[in-house]
Amino acid sequence: MSTAQRIALHGPWRRQLVKLGGCIVAVSALLPLIYLALLTVADRWQAPRLLPEGLRLDRLSNVLSSSTGLLESLLLSLFIGGLVAAGSTALGFVTSRQLAYTRRLRLWLLLAYLPFAISPVVLATCLLFVFIKVHLSGTLLGVILAQIMLAYGFATILLLGLWNPHKQGLEQVARTLGANPRQVWMQVLIPASLPLLRVCFFQTFLISWAQYGLTALIGSGKVRTLPLRVFDYAMEADPAYAAVAGLLLIVPPLALLWIERRIVFKVV
Amino acid sequence: MSSLLQVEALSRRFGNEAVLHSVQLTLAAEQTMSILGRSGSGKTTLLKIIAGLESSDTGSVLLNGNNLANVPPEQRGIVYLYQEPLLFPHLSTFENVAFGLRVRHTNNAEVQARTREMLGELGLNEHARKMPHELSGGQRQRAAFGRALIVQPRLLLLDEPFGALDGETRTAMQALYRRVVREHRIATLFVTHDLKEAILVGDRYAYLSKGQLTQYPNLAAFLTEPDIRAADEIHFWTSLAAQTSHPSLAIPRPDPLVKTPQEQVP
Repeated sequence: MSTAQRIALHGPWRRQLVKLGGCIVAVSALLPLIYLALLTVADRWQAPRLLPEGLRLDRLSNVLSSSTGLLESLLLSLFIGGLVAAGSTALGFVTSRQLAYTRRLRLWLLLAYLPFAISPVVLATCLLFVFIKVHLSGTLLGVILAQIMLAYGFATILLLGLWNPHKQGLEQVARTLGANPRQVWMQVLIPASLPLLRVCFFQTFLISWAQYGLTALIGSGKVRTLPLRVFDYAMEADPAYAAVAGLLLIVPPLALLWIERRIVFKVV
Repeated sequence: MSSLLQVEALSRRFGNEAVLHSVQLTLAAEQTMSILGRSGSGKTTLLKIIAGLESSDTGSVLLNGNNLANVPPEQRGIVYLYQEPLLFPHLSTFENVAFGLRVRHTNNAEVQARTREMLGELGLNEHARKMPHELSGGQRQRAAFGRALIVQPRLLLLDEPFGALDGETRTAMQALYRRVVREHRIATLFVTHDLKEAILVGDRYAYLSKGQLTQYPNLAAFLTEPDIRAADEIHFWTSLAAQTSHPSLAIPRPDPLVKTPQEQVP
């Protein structure tokens, strides 16, 4: 049997298998989200029932009230995530350029990898003593700084790929054409690196957004971000409100992912 | 003729390797000096030091008699063109060419007029709105030329600018280069590893080998330099012409050393 005949024979089967596999992956990805959404509006949902007996929307409307603290936590997480993403992306951009042209790149890279190698919780434990000494423990600033320390290393490693002989050539051409160092940054390096900078912003936002251990330790329970709120509800055996908080936790990243797919990956 | 550029006793080492060794060079205004050299001979380092993008260990670079030691690249009036066109990927062809005027805060009406004129001169008017990735290799190199010429540099440094182009485009670009440089009356240092190209574009000739530069008073003296092996090249082609009876070799061709202004834009 020739290769062409074999492909012709197995082609339709293979297509069906691929379709089936795609459906399984899609259902596996969507089912938890559907379950989570259903749980937020479920009224009297007891085992072994597949669906709740009724629906109630008051938990969702309660998000807006101050009694649950969910809206406050959502805004706080957005604020911290935005600052951490902006700060670590900017710092990572500048640092990665310095590192790319340094002779001891391996040593510096090792330092950048360290926060991931030792895990965020261990990093927080190491930082906690210093943060207590300088009165940053239990403060918003302390949480932001600690998260930036984690995301900064990630941003530096991610953005290191930007710097190559071609980019260095662009920089040098711009200088000889009359651009001063500030103009080179503003009119050449930043605009030419924008696609990867957007990806880096998105990724570091996600690092901050989902951060639990580091925030809990450095924030000492006083900085109540959304992941901490989800954990609290889960511990209090309130799955419905844990689901509401969980839903709030996944909506902004999904929105960002949608924006990223529409804008970022079009230009990368 | 008074010299525009003077390079005196320029040396540069990278580790234990001497890349440039006591280089002396003079170039008058409106002249093109071809610097022939093989890979690793120190050509790029020499140009980068003159442009202010690298530092030298010893020696000096003078432009119109002024020492450039403490002058940053953007204030030297010297534009450096690479083998790659290195157009800014986020800017259109028009904005790439206009870049030097924009960073000098030239008023918009003048930017528009001068950029359009430059694009027209280089045959790029219809490509003004295209992004760099939409241009061919020759078009990109022409845009890079326009971007350099529009700022009216005192000196243009070309580092094997046509090295990445195919043979036909390369020939057309050499012709365009000769026409444009003559019209704009710009002094240039043209670095190449191609003997024919060095002869075609230059008024003055130099040979760089193992960091040592030799300048020649004329083309004849340049061609007698044993290291460039011009005699071998000439012998190869004359032998080939003698051995073959192919008619194309018998057709009289224009002398490539006579630089006429009738070159075509590629």
